[in-house]
Amino acid sequence: MSKVLRISKGAEQGVQELLKFLLESGKVKGVLTLTKINNSGAVDYSLITNSEMLKDTLPLFPLMPANAGKLLSRLTLKSALAEPIAVVVKPCELRAFIELVKREQGSLENFLFISSTCDGVYPLEISSNGEVAKKLSKYWDAVKKGDIAPDIRPTCSCCEHFLPYNADITIALIGENIDKECAVFLTTEKGKKSVEGMKGQLVEGELKTQEVKNLLNKREANKKKLFDDPALMQDGLSGLIETFGRCIGCHGCSRVCPICYCTLCTFDSKDYENEPSTYETELKKRGGMRVPPNTILYHIGRLTHIGISCVGCGMCTDVCPVDIPLSTIFLKVGGEVQQTFNYIPGKSVEEKVPLTIFEKEELTEVED
Amino acid sequence: MKGAILKIENSIEKTIIEFLKKGLDKKLFDALLIPVKVPAGDSYAWVLVQDKALLEDANPLPPVMSVQGAKALSSITRRGKSNKKIAAIMRPCEIRASIELSKLQQIDLENICLVSIDCPGALPLKDYLEDTKKGIDTFKKVIKEWGNESVRPICQMCDKSVGLSIQSDLHIGILGAKNNEIYLIPSSQKGKSILEEIGIPAEESTDNWEKKTKEFVETRKKNRKKAQSTLSEKVMGLDNLLETFSNCINCHNCQSVCPICYCRQCYFESEKMKLSSDDYLIRAESKGILRFLPDTLLFHIGRMTHMSLSCVGCGACEDACPMSIKVAQIFSMVGDKSQKVFNYTPGKSIEEQLPLKVYEEDEFHEVEKP
Repeated sequence: MSKVLRISKGAEQGVQELLKFLLESGKVKGVLTLTKINNSGAVDYSLITNSEMLKDTLPLFPLMPANAGKLLSRLTLKSALAEPIAVVVKPCELRAFIELVKREQGSLENFLFISSTCDGVYPLEISSNGEVAKKLSKYWDAVKKGDIAPDIRPTCSCCEHFLPYNADITIALIGENIDKECAVFLTTEKGKKSVEGMKGQLVEGELKTQEVKNLLNKREANKKKLFDDPALMQDGLSGLIETFGRCIGCHGCSRVCPICYCTLCTFDSKDYENEPSTYETELKKRGGMRVPPNTILYHIGRLTHIGISCVGCGMCTDVCPVDIPLSTIFLKVGGEVQQTFNYIPGKSVEEKVPLTIFEKEELTEVED
Repeated sequence: MKGAILKIENSIEKTIIEFLKKGLDKKLFDALLIPVKVPAGDSYAWVLVQDKALLEDANPLPPVMSVQGAKALSSITRRGKSNKKIAAIMRPCEIRASIELSKLQQIDLENICLVSIDCPGALPLKDYLEDTKKGIDTFKKVIKEWGNESVRPICQMCDKSVGLSIQSDLHIGILGAKNNEIYLIPSSQKGKSILEEIGIPAEESTDNWEKKTKEFVETRKKNRKKAQSTLSEKVMGLDNLLETFSNCINCHNCQSVCPICYCRQCYFESEKMKLSSDDYLIRAESKGILRFLPDTLLFHIGRMTHMSLSCVGCGACEDACPMSIKVAQIFSMVGDKSQKVFNYTPGKSIEEQLPLKVYEEDEFHEVEKP
């Protein structure tokens, strides 16, 4: 059980009220949340310091134009926040940010994290056609019922971590009466303090409702279906060639990946540039070679680099111009790595990234 | 202009490949750089081929331009000339991009024989991937009829995809050829001697090709003018630009697939663009709100400034944009204008220097006026 502030307004409006209160009471200096940025339906994150600008915010909009974890890293990479800022982000965005902080790519200082129980987001492609607006009523119906929302990102439809970790405030959406009420769960001391003085009914409540548990079951079943689908990827080198053969090497997947934080990806670096003589040697050996080379190496390499921290946000799939189901593959493979190390990325701030710790006694099975 | 004529056997593609094989046999080149169908059969990749057996699935004019050919060529010769003689078979815009990259010292053209081909355009990558079988049939129709509707919008308005303006060593002419023939037209000494060595000297008239390609270019020029005037109404001015790029998610796919954007690390991804949290807050405070990711429009305008003089309008950026922004159409329109100011056509001539590299004491007096 935890403390809940019940605001008798629709969920989205309730969050807007909350943000307004936080800004106007001076408890935070700014707010980062999804915002309508024009009249034709484009939505992006905005950093807002003037409470009048909150009218265009859409804090709970089911879209992820960029993984906010990446944005929070950009905001605090050079210096931690000197003054508090409230951010409204999806659970996987918060997890990604925690992973980035563990990699020294940002600072948690002075953030007030607001998240929600999340029923997923739509693929970005839909948003560029203005289709999201048409789907909203069905989306919120699914949220209220605790169903998997239709047409959302594949990895959202099988995400088991839709109850946020490390949020100070969690807006309960799944299975809630969100048209009439905004249930603001105050999950940390910081969260409780931040709403002191705000109107609403302070009661006890349970975030892990039956609806939430049911959705988890549905998601787990869906995950199995998605991961076991033989069409996803065949094993072995030929499977890799089949899956990644049409990759055009744009590396968009790495640029939008919140975990891929390198300023210059090693696969774009000089280390992976060849002398003309290398091509000659390869021609001699194999009679031919694909250019630019290293298509599959890039994906396997990226899997190795980020698999342990992959939060399955789905940005990579959305950005892929040739529709490779990247996030499903990465979550499947990454999930196995995470299981091996008993590690859930973004769950705990203190728990170290497994690859940064040396244990003398571990994984003895690979020694055979 | 004189050329050689090849009888088509099986298909245009197979005929060209047989011709190229002869070049390999006679050691006129050691390897080919050519698009080959990937094993899954759903796309094409550039393959450097020495072993003729690997040419089974090669296609000199595939339905899509999955990777800009100049990028493939740059990957081989960025660090210096190839010791092997390579014939690179490319679309005209890929040839032009290669020439620009050689001026930018990202391609070494020594030992490279550029082979171009009349190009009706390419299908949008997305359309093709949706149904590759249908895509192949659609493209067959495109090559046959030289119709416009199925190819990418940027290709529909391309006026440099056929004809005499293409600066390759050897050009494969399809337009205006008789039903069962194609032209091989040398445009350099290199190309001429290849034909001679293979035993098909350029002695036939190419008048019909010249005539047909001229007509085709005229039609395309009209398309270009019309398309650009419609487009400019929608994108000119700051408000329209903001609107146009409002869906941009800053993935920079456009930049990473652009053949001209050769920087290993784009300025807009560098440390220089990253501010301290205080600076971001100050920026937000000045208007009360700051779009975050910041600098989305700045990136596009910056990129435009950096590469529009060399933009060949290949459309790779638009194919790679996950948000369906008309990047190529906008960039090539701006490119046209900046190129006109300098009277420069990218990829037209290897000798002509990049305008920004030449200092003229006497120019642009109009900008000096207050």
